Amino acid sequence: MRVMIMVKVNQDSKGERGAVPTEAEMAPMGKFNEELQKAGVLLDLSGLKPSSAGARVTFNRGKPTVVDGPFTEAKELVAGYWILQVKSKEEAIEWAKRIPAESGGIEAVEIRPFYEMEDLEMEDFAPSPAVDAAKELGKKLPSGAGGKP
Amino acid sequence: MRFMMIVKANEKSEAGVLPTEAQFAAMGKYNEELQKAGVLVDLSGLKPSSAGVKVKFSGGKRTVVDGPFTEAREMIAGYWIIQVKSKEEAIEWAKRIPAESAEMAEVEVRPFFELEDFAPGPAVDAAKERMKKLQADGGPKS
Repeated sequence: MRVMIMVKVNQDSKGERGAVPTEAEMAPMGKFNEELQKAGVLLDLSGLKPSSAGARVTFNRGKPTVVDGPFTEAKELVAGYWILQVKSKEEAIEWAKRIPAESGGIEAVEIRPFYEMEDLEMEDFAPSPAVDAAKELGKKLPSGAGGKP
Repeated sequence: MRFMMIVKANEKSEAGVLPTEAQFAAMGKYNEELQKAGVLVDLSGLKPSSAGVKVKFSGGKRTVVDGPFTEAREMIAGYWIIQVKSKEEAIEWAKRIPAESAEMAEVEVRPFFELEDFAPGPAVDAAKERMKKLQADGGPKS
């Protein structure tokens, strides 16, 4: 199963205040990432810039409105994530526990499994052009959203 | 620049309600447009938070909390990753999401940190090597 481990922060976090991790802070995280890679479970990882660099698009009856960041009212913002290929939720939790959270100033992570194409089929999704097209598209994507194990 | 367009959860996504064929088709058409424009890097949907867990860190201690998590508006239901030339281009794509058909109230458009954003050092060099290897392994092309 594929899971996303998301780093959640609030507006008072170092990252939201614009601090870039130092070399000393990056080293333990690099070591952890290397372990993930050596174990063959790492599919992707990334860090997001603070919400001040982003924007929100809200939709009202389909009409979009753009609001620039920072998102000061948000209790939880995503600061980055790992995507892992693991055998079980328990395995994902074991990896999450090993995150060098203290050096990265991480207070919590959320582990969330992905929808895979098989999930749609299980729900009696009738074969249709839209589902077929989604599968074809998924095959071309790096995360293999189109139904790779 | 790479951007993540983050779809916020709502009551339906948290209840695990799957899209109808019509909703699926509308989103599929949009995804095809992203792909034809050559900007689509990745996309995925996440299962409801009831299928997930939280791990909290405090002074070296780890605490595991099972989902569901209650603040639906603070949660994520899925995302696109797009490669575009500017924030404005990312916003233009976000505006074209068939939000009404998907009953989507809001997306967050967030740029990624690229390794070039960090001061050079051994940890950054190692990270660059790791990303190269991930790509060589047929993994993400980010």
